[in-house]
Amino acid sequence: ERLHAGPTSHIHSGILQVQARDFEDPPDLYEKTEFLLREWVSIINSPNNKEPPSKAFSMFVHQMNVQGILKTDDLITRFFRLSTSMVVELSYRLLSEQTVTTSGQIRLKIYHTLDAYVKLIAMLVKHSGDTQNTQTKINLLNKVLGIIAGVLLQDHESHHSDFQQLPYHRIFIMLFLELNSADPVLEAFNFQILTAFCHTLHILRPAKSPGFAYSWLELISHRVFIGRLLQITPQQKGWGLYAQLLMDLFKFLAPFLRNAELAKPVTFMYKGTLRVLLILLHDFPEFLCDYHYGFCDVVPPNCIQMRNLILSAFPRNMRLPDPFTPNLKVDMLQEIAHAPRVSPNFASMIQPLTFKKDLDSYLKARAPVTFLSELRSNLQVSNEPGVRYNISLLNALVLYVGTQAISFIRGKGLSPNMSTIAHSAHMDIFQNLAVDLDTEGRYLFLNAIANQLRYPNSHTHYFSCTLLYLFHEANTEAIQEQITRVLLERLIVNRPHPWGLLITFIEMIKNPTYKFWNHEFVHCAPEIEKLFESVARSCMVQKAA
Amino acid sequence: GVAPLGPVPLQKEHQMQFQMMEAAYYHMPVPSDSEKIRPYLPRNPFATPSYYIQTPLPHSDTLEFFQRLSTESLFFIFYYMEGTKAQYLAAKALKKQSWRFHTKYMMWFQRHEEPKLINEEYEQGTYIYFDYEKWSQRKKEGFIFEYKYLEDRDLN
Repeated sequence: ERLHAGPTSHIHSGILQVQARDFEDPPDLYEKTEFLLREWVSIINSPNNKEPPSKAFSMFVHQMNVQGILKTDDLITRFFRLSTSMVVELSYRLLSEQTVTTSGQIRLKIYHTLDAYVKLIAMLVKHSGDTQNTQTKINLLNKVLGIIAGVLLQDHESHHSDFQQLPYHRIFIMLFLELNSADPVLEAFNFQILTAFCHTLHILRPAKSPGFAYSWLELISHRVFIGRLLQITPQQKGWGLYAQLLMDLFKFLAPFLRNAELAKPVTFMYKGTLRVLLILLHDFPEFLCDYHYGFCDVVPPNCIQMRNLILSAFPRNMRLPDPFTPNLKVDMLQEIAHAPRVSPNFASMIQPLTFKKDLDSYLKARAPVTFLSELRSNLQVSNEPGVRYNISLLNALVLYVGTQAISFIRGKGLSPNMSTIAHSAHMDIFQNLAVDLDTEGRYLFLNAIANQLRYPNSHTHYFSCTLLYLFHEANTEAIQEQITRVLLERLIVNRPHPWGLLITFIEMIKNPTYKFWNHEFVHCAPEIEKLFESVARSCMVQKAA
Repeated sequence: GVAPLGPVPLQKEHQMQFQMMEAAYYHMPVPSDSEKIRPYLPRNPFATPSYYIQTPLPHSDTLEFFQRLSTESLFFIFYYMEGTKAQYLAAKALKKQSWRFHTKYMMWFQRHEEPKLINEEYEQGTYIYFDYEKWSQRKKEGFIFEYKYLEDRDLN
């Protein structure tokens, strides 16, 4: 087993503890645990109990001491492992008894036990070590989360298609809410609590425990969870953690979505994902802005609407000019001088390093020409249709070359426009890709460009010019047809549509230099022709009031 | 087509994932799984005809809305929806209508007339109160309302 260091080491040691099948518990530990747990659940749920939970808790800790459970860390974690298994087993037993008429009461029974157990975990975490010593508390929390995750993974494997999400779902969400309640002791290490949960959920991502996928999606889209990570935690420290979980979700869905054969279970998950994206677009557009690159890297190319949701996000303090305004001068917008923030670091995704080195030296010297002729083979990973290219590398390459181009032009004291972007090492690479790649590669390449057409910023402007330039300079109609296709397919879906995308498309069909209407593919079929006319009508004419 | 790169057969790993997800699809989480227990009014999802209202009225989670409800409704919300935002808003609306909560009797009281007696510790007079066991408003003469039982937290 790989050794895990750092913040997740305690989670992993908890998981390992469950997975090590050779654990031998001291005699009586099972009975003691069962006795203690039963006691606790009945005290907490007793209708006659008027005492505050803190009093019940101190009595319970005394009991634990009497039973010798609190003697060593090892015994404590064994106690948690056994307790978790017990409450899970109870849930299974009760669920197996349920009928349509009793399911409500059965669930309530299960909740009572699970909630009591959660309360116990929360209080033990809160009171472990000294009040000031948050490290002890956070270590215990990580350990317990690891144990629960370990029990889940084992259960998932052994029960297989009979696996039940309910007990874990309830434990995780209730524990999360409990540990995020207004309490000075807990608030002092809130960020570590959030981190612990995010790491645990990352370990339990749908690709690892698909039987838990729906609960997992509920957990990561819970309003308190999103609020804590994206809003309440200062300095956007929770953003990276949350982005990681969304990437896990997109990666899981990708193989099912790319084939567009949506079975019911996939459709359900997909709809849930769209809802989460809508919430984020509405409430946290800056978050989607910052991480659009990472997200688009894992969303399959055919998921037009999903990607449009991500790419339509723009900072709330920005006013976007109406793309349908006649004679809109994009060059005059102040915002196009500013570069957007991009996460993760795309330059580091250009691998191997020798390729990156060759790329940099080509950008500097515009030589050797062999770099261009070998470009395609560097991007191609197989000969199987549909999976020929390294999409991540292509995306990274496009954005990297673009950002380098912008600084190169700026370095000369100019700003990017239709003429300054031309005749450079950067444009050599783009033109070469447009000409040299096959249909599949070119589709991915043009998509990588279109992914940058967002709100007014320097990338949007540069890549808008680049796409129009490639259209204008194309040596075959096939390239122009494909550019049109990539833009059009992103516009004929339902809203929202990214601003930069509309701007680029409108310019292409309006500006006579592109002779758009003279192309054969515009008139290839009556329904396509009609489609263009209707798009043109909505683009050309000012919106009717 | 909707799969411009053409379909790619699912790998074994993905087929397994799909099977597990499909199995989970038949025991989906329900809203109550991620909520505090509602002892009196548990959720009971049921498909209602579409011509019935499906979502609550807009702004029905505001104090203004709660102030327009009858006191009966406010008492119902207060006793049967413990620990919710609705309970909090109901308490706030009741306070605005000069009801005061008695923490020993756990009932709401309203002066029926000016108290006969007021001092540091209590006031005495005739009160209307809401009896949650009989579920009705009653009158009590000569009642002593001790201030130590007055729930006077600022509800903000």
